[in-house]
Amino acid sequence: MSAIETKNLTKRYKDKCAVDELNLSVNEGELFALLGVNGAGKTTTIRMLSCLSEPDKGECFVGGHSCARESGRVKRLIGVSPQETAVAENLTARENLELMCGIYGLSKEETKRRISEMTELFGLDEAKGRAKTLSGGWKRKLSIAMALIASPKVLFLDEPTLGLDVLARRELWKVIKSLKGKITVILTTHYMEEAEQLSDRIAIMIEGKIAAHGTLAEIETLTGEKGLENAFVKIAEGGKTHE
Amino acid sequence: MNRVIAFSRRNFMEIMRDPLSYIFCLGFPLVMLIIMTLVNESIPAEAGMVIFRIDNLSGGIAVFGLTFIMLFTGLSVAKDRAGAFLVRLYTTPMRSCDFIMGYIAPVMVIALAQVLITFAASFAISVITGIKLSAAGLGASMLALVPTAVMMIGLGLLFGSLFGEKAAPGLCSIVISLASFLGGVWFDPDGTGGILLKICKALPFYHSVHAARLAASLNFKDFWGHLGITAAWAVVITIAAVLVFKAKMKSETC
Ligand SMILES: Nc1ncnc2c1ncn2[C@@H]1O[C@H](COP(=O)(O)OP(=O)(O)OP(=O)(O)O)[C@@H](O)[C@H]1O
Ligand SMILES: [Mg+2]
Repeated sequence: MSAIETKNLTKRYKDKCAVDELNLSVNEGELFALLGVNGAGKTTTIRMLSCLSEPDKGECFVGGHSCARESGRVKRLIGVSPQETAVAENLTARENLELMCGIYGLSKEETKRRISEMTELFGLDEAKGRAKTLSGGWKRKLSIAMALIASPKVLFLDEPTLGLDVLARRELWKVIKSLKGKITVILTTHYMEEAEQLSDRIAIMIEGKIAAHGTLAEIETLTGEKGLENAFVKIAEGGKTHE
Repeated sequence: MNRVIAFSRRNFMEIMRDPLSYIFCLGFPLVMLIIMTLVNESIPAEAGMVIFRIDNLSGGIAVFGLTFIMLFTGLSVAKDRAGAFLVRLYTTPMRSCDFIMGYIAPVMVIALAQVLITFAASFAISVITGIKLSAAGLGASMLALVPTAVMMIGLGLLFGSLFGEKAAPGLCSIVISLASFLGGVWFDPDGTGGILLKICKALPFYHSVHAARLAASLNFKDFWGHLGITAAWAVVITIAAVLVFKAKMKSETC
């Protein structure tokens, strides 16, 4: 069974088609990268898959459950790290994590265990004080830790390494790699190296449609280019000449 | 229930860590209580004006204080709606009733603490000035203010869901001025009569103030009527707030 399945998924904003008849299937345990220029529809796709937005047409399934009809089931399976960092500003890192544990109904012991795991994984014991006093990068790490704390089956990471320094980015890559095979991860990014390093499969979105998808090798063969960046540029520019 | 407790805790901590909460929710009513008592002391006895005497003042200031709870609720809901944090919580198993109860519970605690402090100070003032105020009366008055507290929190939730971070506090300030004036906190509408009294009676605040004052004096003859009207308003406003919050949550996740 696929972890994620979309069928003719479509979202319109006024005249603009943000996501256009999207058909996508992501296997369980796979790390799937969604690439595309600004405004391609990546965030809109993630919003629909995380029950934040209702499609105008088509449907989507997470873990075999319909996002429209079984949003309660879907919400229990997913963890979302939004494009914008989203933390409770007046709470400390630890209190933010406790809040998420409470929301997902984790027991006292589980809460303690998961918080110490996340604190270690992200080095959060360095993040002292209220969230609003943390630097952008630390807030982002906290935001991702909050998405992971309840051990989701499917994790959405919308531009997770935006605003992270080189070291922190490499650290986060390690964390993401350690999740591979255990949970399904949907990742969006503007860093081609990141997609190359992390993903099992890649989809390139142009104006709400998938222009190409497959493994890195498949995309390179398809475009006859070496490296994801060149392949991406070729596809993205090719998409523009259609206008 | 877990979700409500977790979200209430977060809201409670957010409020307690904002210094403005202490100024508006606790400090301001106390300051008004003291200022108005000083004003009362300088009114000559032959003027026969007793509106600022502590037995009348305490109930009025308690209602006035609760209007700041409305401002506070409105502000925190509007602030949350402006940020990405609330949207993130929409992707969790939190349901709309969890959000609503999680917003209401902590401000209810703060509202009751505020009334308690206002009445404790009133009692001290009554001892100093020699005006009789009974502890039993103040206790009854506190209970009588519960529907008012619910109504104010409902109004806050309503404004916070409908308007943004800038407009919500502005509108709440208008209600604060109107409520304290038309509630008869600063003057006696029964003495004025006429159209002004009619307007006062058409709104809930006059009844809130009267219920609080009558309970404080342990005079229950007209009390139940005022309390009933306040409670009815509280129910209607709370239902409206819940419906608006739910509708807004749905439209924002579209
Ligand atoms: N709430 C909205 N109202 C109107 N238009 C919207 C809304 N949200 C997204 N759009 C439009 O839908 C299109 C896709 O946006 P989306 O945020 O999904 O892009 P993206 O691929 O995530 O881009 P980025 O890389 O910049 O994050 C854009 O043209 C955007 O302007
Ligand atoms: Mg985006």
